[in-house]
Amino acid sequence: MKSDDSPTDDTIDGSPTGTDAGTERAGRTPADTDGGRTATDGGHAADGGHASTGGRVTAATAEGELVTPGQAGTDAGTDTDHGHGLPPLGSVRRYLITTNHKDVGVLYIVTALFFLIFGGVLALLMRVQLWGPGESLLSAGAYNQAVSIHGLIMVFWFLSPFAFGFANYVVPLQIGAKDLAFPRLNALSYWLYAASGLLLGVSFFQGASFAGGWTMYAPLNLPTYTPEVGSTTAVLALLLFVVSITVSSVNFLTTMHRMRAEGLTLRRLPLFTWTILLTAWMMLFAFAALLAALMILSADRLLGTTYFSFTEGGSLLWAHLFWFFGHPEVYIVFFPALGVMAETFQTFTGKRLVGRKWFIASMVLVALQSFGVWMHHMFLTSINLQVKTLFMATTIGISLPFDLMVFSLIYTMIKGRIRFATPFLFSFGALVLFIVGGITGVFLGAVVLDYEFRGTYWVVAHFHYVMVGGVTALVGGLYYWYPKITGKMYDEFLGKVHFALYFVGFNLVYFPMFLAWETPRRVFDYPPGLAPWHKIATIGAFVLGASFLVMFYNLSTSLFTGEDAGDDPWKYVTTAEWTVPSPPPLENFPGIPTYRSGSIDFLSEDERPALGGGEPAADGGHAAESTKSGLTDGGVADAEAVAARSGAESASTPSSQGEGHRGSHAPEDGEDEHEDHASIWPLAIGVGAFAFLLGASGFQGGEFAGGIAGAFYAWVLAIGALITGGSLVGMTRERFTGPSGPFGESWPFDGIENVKTGVWIFLASDVILFGAFIGSYVFIRVANGWIGWEPIPHDPIPGLINTYLLLTSSFSVVLAMVAAEKGSKKGVVGSLIVTIALGIGFLVNKGIEWQELLHEGLWLSTNVRTSTFFLTTGLHALHVIAGLAIAVYMLVRASRGAYLDDERPIEYFGLYWHFVDIVWLFLFPLFYIL
Amino acid sequence: MSKTKLYVAIYVLLFVLATAQVLVEFAGLEYWTAMAAILALSFVKALFVAGYYQHLRYEPRSLTYLMATGLLAALALTIAASYSIT
Repeated sequence: MKSDDSPTDDTIDGSPTGTDAGTERAGRTPADTDGGRTATDGGHAADGGHASTGGRVTAATAEGELVTPGQAGTDAGTDTDHGHGLPPLGSVRRYLITTNHKDVGVLYIVTALFFLIFGGVLALLMRVQLWGPGESLLSAGAYNQAVSIHGLIMVFWFLSPFAFGFANYVVPLQIGAKDLAFPRLNALSYWLYAASGLLLGVSFFQGASFAGGWTMYAPLNLPTYTPEVGSTTAVLALLLFVVSITVSSVNFLTTMHRMRAEGLTLRRLPLFTWTILLTAWMMLFAFAALLAALMILSADRLLGTTYFSFTEGGSLLWAHLFWFFGHPEVYIVFFPALGVMAETFQTFTGKRLVGRKWFIASMVLVALQSFGVWMHHMFLTSINLQVKTLFMATTIGISLPFDLMVFSLIYTMIKGRIRFATPFLFSFGALVLFIVGGITGVFLGAVVLDYEFRGTYWVVAHFHYVMVGGVTALVGGLYYWYPKITGKMYDEFLGKVHFALYFVGFNLVYFPMFLAWETPRRVFDYPPGLAPWHKIATIGAFVLGASFLVMFYNLSTSLFTGEDAGDDPWKYVTTAEWTVPSPPPLENFPGIPTYRSGSIDFLSEDERPALGGGEPAADGGHAAESTKSGLTDGGVADAEAVAARSGAESASTPSSQGEGHRGSHAPEDGEDEHEDHASIWPLAIGVGAFAFLLGASGFQGGEFAGGIAGAFYAWVLAIGALITGGSLVGMTRERFTGPSGPFGESWPFDGIENVKTGVWIFLASDVILFGAFIGSYVFIRVANGWIGWEPIPHDPIPGLINTYLLLTSSFSVVLAMVAAEKGSKKGVVGSLIVTIALGIGFLVNKGIEWQELLHEGLWLSTNVRTSTFFLTTGLHALHVIAGLAIAVYMLVRASRGAYLDDERPIEYFGLYWHFVDIVWLFLFPLFYIL
Repeated sequence: MSKTKLYVAIYVLLFVLATAQVLVEFAGLEYWTAMAAILALSFVKALFVAGYYQHLRYEPRSLTYLMATGLLAALALTIAASYSIT
């Protein structure tokens, strides 16, 4: 190990004696060592005045990590709730309109816990059914639904949102940001998630919910096998969930890359934030593939395309798309848990994570490798042996970085002094469980063993040890951050009781599954000899479930009766969320957070010039050009002045763009402008999306069913479309000021302002979406025989004309931008009109072509060739339509003189439009010529 | 060359390449040769649009890497999946 892993120099006496949380803090005792180390101690003194400004708190810095000493926060005076349009914390209305990351975090956590109960009850129903072989509490169909929806809920609606509840709450605090980059989009993510969950619940009341397993394998996912309306609703619910995830990924990535405090380089980023960063990257790419899979599946179900019923490879295609997403998904749900483990191991051993940078490197490696192992889920399909062998090797390979992480955690315990508080117990438990889960997974990575184990309870046991092992750490995270979120301390004794019951229950339910591994997965009949193991498992399941009752009791009563937690109840913390009051004030910090000295300081507005000369603040874009190197002094313009919120609301934050193409330049005279924290539109869009998809669920094979039911669905669909569309327009027109820059550290997107970064990140996920559509087409064509496949259009000329039209429209958008730069209103309006006309021309030309094909009897459902043609080019046409909607909106604004002093919205629209153009450059040859 | 002129030049180039792509199809080349040429022309056009109209050439390299990563992942999925059934 390197010197920075040397054992002693940063070990701290971990005895939590002495300080009474929140009242008296010992001054820090930084282990100011060789510059590579960090001490961990969160002590600080406090009450009273804000610490803030310049109140430098000493702490050692570390190459690897920053220590955050406390600063004294005050509850009074720092919360500037009023003036931001937010009702007080206790009010329900606040949570309907809030866009603040902490409120949204709480919403995520509470909703996810609801889904834990939902999924947990389904699991208990299954376990009761499994008490003896072939028992029948549930009908066969109900059991299949319980299995499927339990899996879907736990993986999608519980695990990730639970983790992202913490991410929402903690990440901005850890990186020194006041909020996420796009607060309204953050609230939108939440409401889309909530709407998708509600939709999933509704699916049970539409005949039956989805019953084909959480992996939704084809052809079980087709109406032939799962004909109920509820099955379609479940698929659409998952689709909506994925949209929410995509919005969220873009938001988190922009925030974490662009908005870190000065001095907080990626090397120094706290480990929890690191795990969320990597998780968000994996989500961005992996979920885009799932989005493609679900769009195609929805088309198969609603419109009658024939991708997955294509007998020469339809079901294999689903498996490829699903597992290309599905394996990264394992790490997507596990990484945040790893982050919690890393944080709590440090806090409760008083020891910096041993081999910290190798730990991070391992995680980066896993994140990359996770996209190269998916076919180990397909060893029993007809894929060829060479590719199986290759993926066996990559799969075994991905276990190696995990070994390093596990040893790093173990070694941290050995070197530190452990305090067995509840959060640590859960984290430690998670490590033990993960080791068992990881090792049993290696068996499954071997092709020959997988032939035996696939579809058995070995698999069930293995992934529950991994996934629920992750849950264990996240529960630890809940205890860890509960005092920060609520300001109250939970009951430690009950916390330990919860852990004891949980750990015993966990092993009672899942370990016997290894022993009864010959039980077929997803089936409630099994050899009678295995019954004793299943009885033990059922008992364990109830113990595990009951343990959560203790938790809910503990956490809910502690809200009212718990002791005040103070800023930092844990003492040996290393991250910034513990330097602010519990709960933190609305805009988090008493000044501009900076790590220039190596530990966190809060600078006042007075000190702003020292930070970078007080550049005027238009977020990023121009001003931030000067902020190339985050670490240098001066270079980092925090003119953002985050308005030096020294306590009260003296903020004169130079406003800048909000999310929707609005980018106005900052007011030059320093006029007061607050950031906003409330918007009703995210909720409204969620409601609209819910209604729209509920209506769509009644659509099958290209039409609504007849009768009252059909009419009902059609109306709900129409109303949903109206609400969604209207709310989108409402949100775009709303004046909303989000966090503005320049920010401290923005690597690697220095000088690319937030909206632009967000657009590019979104486009990267769109590359995967289209890539997966094109990949599906290529796959099906290869399966069908490449050469024998004739393009659907007989003549490439209409396609060529459309290529000309799109290329010209791209050119006219460029001209619009040039005109805006020159301040020519006429030029902007004229160019936008040309763009819109060309876009409409493209659609009309396509419409004529489709009309002719329809007359020839060729339509979506005719065969797999027509399916791929119409669906892929149709998705592209939808992109064109969306672009046209934006262009029309911009035309209206341009005709009133917008964009002349700030052409960025045109530029960003152009980025999207050109992307749509590029996609066509590939679709044209693939579908018209080759 | 002024910016506008550059944009015009690229527009003309894209127009020509798009036409050339269809001409290749009618040129009677062997199938796989024609296919390689046609796809290569698509990539060239895409690079010009991304490089100049989306001005990636003048942006920090990180954006290019970001898009390249997306493209790489999509290609990995397409190629590996298609190879798996050969």
